[in-house]
Amino acid sequence: MSGSIGKPTPFIDAVQKVTGQAMYADDYRMPNMLYVSFFRSTESHAKISKLDISEAESYPGVCAVAIGKDIPISFGVLPISPDENAIAVEKVRYKGEIVAAVAAETIKAAREAVEKIKVVYEPIKAFFDPKDSLEVCAPEEQIHSHTKNGKNIHKTAELRFNEPEKELEIAKNKQSGFFKFAGVTHAFTEPHSTLAIWNRDDTLTVISATQVPFYLHKNISKVLGIPLHKIQVKKPTLGGGFGGKSDPFPHEIITAYLAKKTKRPVKCTFSREEVFITHHGRHPTELSMSVSCDDDGIITALDTDIIIDGGAYGSFGVVTSYYNGVLLQGPYKINKFGFRTRRTYTNKHQCGAMRGHGAVNPRYAVEVLLDMMAQSLNMDPCDLRNKNFLPENTLTVGEFRITSNGVRECLEAVRRKSDWDNRYGKLPFGRGLGVACGFFISGSALPIIWNRYPQTVVHAKLDFDGRIVMFSGASDIGQGSDTLLVQIAAEELGISMEYVQVETADTKITPVDLGSYSSRVTFMVGNAAKTATTKVREEMAKAISKEKDVTAENLIFNNCRIHTKDKSIDLSWEEGVEIALAGRGAFVESGYYISPKLGGDFKGSGAGLSPAYSFGAFISEVDVNPNTGAVIVTKVWGAHDCGKALNPLSVEGQIEGSIHMGLGQAISEEMRYHNGQQINANFFDYRIPSSLDTPDMDITIIESNDAEGPYGAKEAGEGPIHPVLPSIGNAIYDAVGIRMMELPITPEKVLSKMKENA
Amino acid sequence: MGLKQIELTVNDFSHPFLVESDETLLFTLRNRLYLTGTKEGCNQGTCGSCTVLLDGKPVLSCMTPTLRCVEKKVITIEGISSGENLHPVQKYLVKNGGLQCGFCTPGVVMTAVPFLEENPDASRREIKEGLSGNLCRCTGYKKIIDALENAAAEMRS
Amino acid sequence: MDYYHTPSTVDEALTIAGKLSGNYTFFAGGTDIQNYRKQQLDTNEYVIDLSEIEELDSITIVDGALHLGAMTTLDKIVSSDEIQNHYPIIAEAAKTVATPVLRKTATIGGNLLVTNRCTFYNQSQEWRDGVGSCLRDVGDICQVTGGKNDCYSRNVSDTATALIVLGAEITLMTPNGIIQKSLKDIYLPCGIKFHDLEERCILTQISVPIEPKKWWYKKLRLRKTLDFTSLTVAATIDTAGIARVCLNGVSMSPILIEKPLKELTLEGLISIARKNCKTVDNDLMPLKYRREMINVYLKEWWKSFR
Ligand SMILES: Cc1cc2nc3c(=O)[nH]c(=O)nc-3n(C[C@H](O)[C@H](O)[C@H](O)COP(=O)(O)OP(=O)(O)OC[C@H]3O[C@@H](n4cnc5c(N)ncnc54)[C@H](O)[C@@H]3O)c2cc1C
Ligand code: SF4
Ligand code: FES
Ligand code: FES
Repeated sequence: MSGSIGKPTPFIDAVQKVTGQAMYADDYRMPNMLYVSFFRSTESHAKISKLDISEAESYPGVCAVAIGKDIPISFGVLPISPDENAIAVEKVRYKGEIVAAVAAETIKAAREAVEKIKVVYEPIKAFFDPKDSLEVCAPEEQIHSHTKNGKNIHKTAELRFNEPEKELEIAKNKQSGFFKFAGVTHAFTEPHSTLAIWNRDDTLTVISATQVPFYLHKNISKVLGIPLHKIQVKKPTLGGGFGGKSDPFPHEIITAYLAKKTKRPVKCTFSREEVFITHHGRHPTELSMSVSCDDDGIITALDTDIIIDGGAYGSFGVVTSYYNGVLLQGPYKINKFGFRTRRTYTNKHQCGAMRGHGAVNPRYAVEVLLDMMAQSLNMDPCDLRNKNFLPENTLTVGEFRITSNGVRECLEAVRRKSDWDNRYGKLPFGRGLGVACGFFISGSALPIIWNRYPQTVVHAKLDFDGRIVMFSGASDIGQGSDTLLVQIAAEELGISMEYVQVETADTKITPVDLGSYSSRVTFMVGNAAKTATTKVREEMAKAISKEKDVTAENLIFNNCRIHTKDKSIDLSWEEGVEIALAGRGAFVESGYYISPKLGGDFKGSGAGLSPAYSFGAFISEVDVNPNTGAVIVTKVWGAHDCGKALNPLSVEGQIEGSIHMGLGQAISEEMRYHNGQQINANFFDYRIPSSLDTPDMDITIIESNDAEGPYGAKEAGEGPIHPVLPSIGNAIYDAVGIRMMELPITPEKVLSKMKENA
Repeated sequence: MGLKQIELTVNDFSHPFLVESDETLLFTLRNRLYLTGTKEGCNQGTCGSCTVLLDGKPVLSCMTPTLRCVEKKVITIEGISSGENLHPVQKYLVKNGGLQCGFCTPGVVMTAVPFLEENPDASRREIKEGLSGNLCRCTGYKKIIDALENAAAEMRS
Repeated sequence: MDYYHTPSTVDEALTIAGKLSGNYTFFAGGTDIQNYRKQQLDTNEYVIDLSEIEELDSITIVDGALHLGAMTTLDKIVSSDEIQNHYPIIAEAAKTVATPVLRKTATIGGNLLVTNRCTFYNQSQEWRDGVGSCLRDVGDICQVTGGKNDCYSRNVSDTATALIVLGAEITLMTPNGIIQKSLKDIYLPCGIKFHDLEERCILTQISVPIEPKKWWYKKLRLRKTLDFTSLTVAATIDTAGIARVCLNGVSMSPILIEKPLKELTLEGLISIARKNCKTVDNDLMPLKYRREMINVYLKEWWKSFR
């Protein structure tokens, strides 16, 4: 024990980051390096009838030009929908899709050569509205040939339990609504960047801004036909991800391909506009939802029909389709429950996973409907929620195993801190309070690529220097997972954090981890790290007990010392290390995490399974200008049950960041298109909130101490975003009496709704 | 257009080298001097991550022509802390958790240092204003502002 | 010929300009024009950087008038006591431009001459290739209206809006001498040629007579920083009872309405404003809303002194 766990702990790489020393992907360079520039489609949906790269190939400084048929094997993050090519083959499916790539001696030469590429397209009818994609079309108009029934539907996910539709038909107290959500994007500050190095021993090293080195490794191998054992993928310091760097991307594969082809290091870094084009953000969504209650406000049924606009390719879409529905099973107990999600292909930038994956938009809908329900039953919205919370240690209707659950405490905390009972419904016109709750997985129990390995393995090495090195494939994407590894090792070995260093996210050196997505790292990697370092401690204790003739169990590891209770034996850490390594030298202990067997045995039962779930409750206060319709969120009280805050500084940071991002989607952010082309692919017009737009925040951490989480911990990176948006929507109702069913809640929408209401 | 031979004083050292006549200070710093602490988040003046000091004044290096900087002094993130000691702004960003991914951080530091020097008594609200051109997607700004308040207090004392 | 020129006097700048026969771009702060160069929307071969011209960096009060050197930064204007005392509206307007760090480089001259904007024009070359280039670029139709003749790009200068209602005069230096004119006269109701400036001229000074005026200023934007305007309204009433209301961001040029207050009704004002503003859907805020906000802002101003 060292007391590292639970203490606000600055990130171990923070000093490197504040001094500019931290190396992000684009900061790496190699001797003899080439630069990549892309030739991108100007059509939304078209056959490539002619592509002439000859002038580009002979342009001074150009070393290689790649086109679709050079890399024809398709891929995708989900092995069930490998529908994308690194470079468009035969046809393009969205404006901005890569049609050719040039590697040249300078970035300038690469760009100039791109301008020499000539292409002739044969346009095909383009689909921009997901509703059009639901209709049968001519075979040649199908965006992908694999979709069924002549429609452009990528996936239909549907589950129903106990006939909710029947209950809703007869229910006395029912609330229904049609909701519409614009697409939003991650807008991390670091543009994508990849450096691929072809080593002359015929191995490939890729340094890339990715959240998923392992999946990238697998996909590079598959597409380029390089054996798995000849690839190394390293994640350097990452400038934010939020799900936007959790797919293997075309540019990564192309860069690797060009390195292989030229046998030289090759780098590609995106412009901000290219980052927007690459997108993979939250799906634009349209949904209708109905909820019913009995007269006491107990929820009796929920049913929803959802259309999500996937854009041109699959990405995580199959998972997104399920998450839209299944994650409505908490935090309220609902026994009659159903949903259908249809994910369509359209000729726009592809959508994928983004913080709060799949569940953010339906969460908005249900929380608004519950607010309406409370109002119609003349009940306080907090009280109504309180009546419906799932208990601890229970199963949901779709057989999610709920373990720890602090949602009641969360609601209680924000209710008290915001002085809800004295202020809700009583503020002057234009000001209002709104409440909402949330629920999210703490790591997906199933891997994306099915295999028989554990979800993660961590190695802890001890050597002559007395240093513990933690080897883990976990990707620190700014959330601080490297720091977590150090804290855990320090805690288990009773040493200060300075003794511990990490080697992470390098597929050659570190044991595999699936990646930083689905809020899985703290729970899974944390558990594995704890096991690995516990084993190191046990090994050391064993050696010391032998040499000093004490029982191993009586040795206490604390304060950089190893001692018995009476201090009859009292060794420094270094002395302990000396003894532990005698006769054997450096050793490595390994820990892994496999989630328990979970879930029912119906089709679709795997979606949303997690070894634990996080909960939360937020209250927002808003100021609405009735003349202009402008909404200002003045304060947000957020309470989140993360099980146990291993590092409160970082848990708070995640909640605060979620408030910022949720606020953006609620009132100002939106992917805007004109004929399939994004018109706001820049930070002028894609409006992420600034320091002046982000409200005051009051954060409460609720610790429900999960029995299976490391030290009781669950997740905090994604769950906190869910309640943010509906709490704002509900606060607007309290302020000016309008129900906002369409996001973002821009001033013009507020104004026109207010007129409708008047 | 073409290349031009110049001398540029960066972090108190004068470097002679060739630049394209129309390149930006950001490009020069990152690609010719390998001072990669200065970040490119947008290359359009919209994110603040490329902020450096030009003759003591914060400028967006992505908007600044390199040729404008000849005979001026450029200070980058690499030159802001003296020797072993972090600047109070850096120190409190670390301590208060005012950074997560850290990509916006060099820009935040290079904006905050001259801002707090100029406005040692800045209120929380004024600090928010001063930082309003630095987009951060991770932190929600709260801990950045906390850190700058603490840094200001230390700088005053 | 060198690409980049840094004259230290106005005369020198004009001489260099003379040698470059029209194929040059002035950089003041460069915070506006730099993006046009990066996006190949400004392709002049040479750059004349005015930032070394110290004579143009000044805030003075002479003979009862406030004089601003064109190269004075917006930051200096925001924090100038003289301006805050005599013309808070100028400081207020300057403060709504861009971001704090940009304002340390951006100049008042550059802001008055900021390039007109349009969602379909302020984009990269690749983007424009994707949508189709427009009238103002190398294409032959307007992407917003589908028309073949007129471009409706918006004037977005926030400080112009304020300075126009103060009756600002400007000084231009040309090879043929000094020209003085009213600021409002340099703006043309055309989205392509939106400034009526002589060949080879440098804006050197902005002058505003100091006299008491009631003022009002408001900028419509989604965020409290960084956003270009979707509608800026500035208004003054002078001691003679003349009301001046200027609207910007909603037409090719700032729209000034100048009338004795007693001849003005709110309805009348709104109807003139709506008639004169050639607002089209080329901003991220929807057209209908921006039009509606014209009414709302004018009403708010009207109420402010009633
Ligand atoms: C993120 C961001 C946000 C912005 N927000 C705003 C905003 O809210 N409102 C706004 O109005 N602008 C905004 N701008 C644009 C720009 O920053 C400002 O308009 C600024 O005031 C321009 O001043 P400058 O000195 O940098 O002009 P420059 O870019 O140097 O010049 C602008 C134009 O004026 C000409 N010019 C400048 N000075 C003279 C002179 N003395 N004589 C003759 N010609 C001259 C130049 O040739 C050029 O065509 C923004 C820019 C960015 C990057
Ligand atoms: S208004 Fe029309 S012509 Fe003018 S810039 Fe915009 S699209 Fe082009
Ligand atoms: S890179 Fe310069 S402001 Fe974004
Ligand atoms: S810390 Fe990631 S953008 Fe600010």
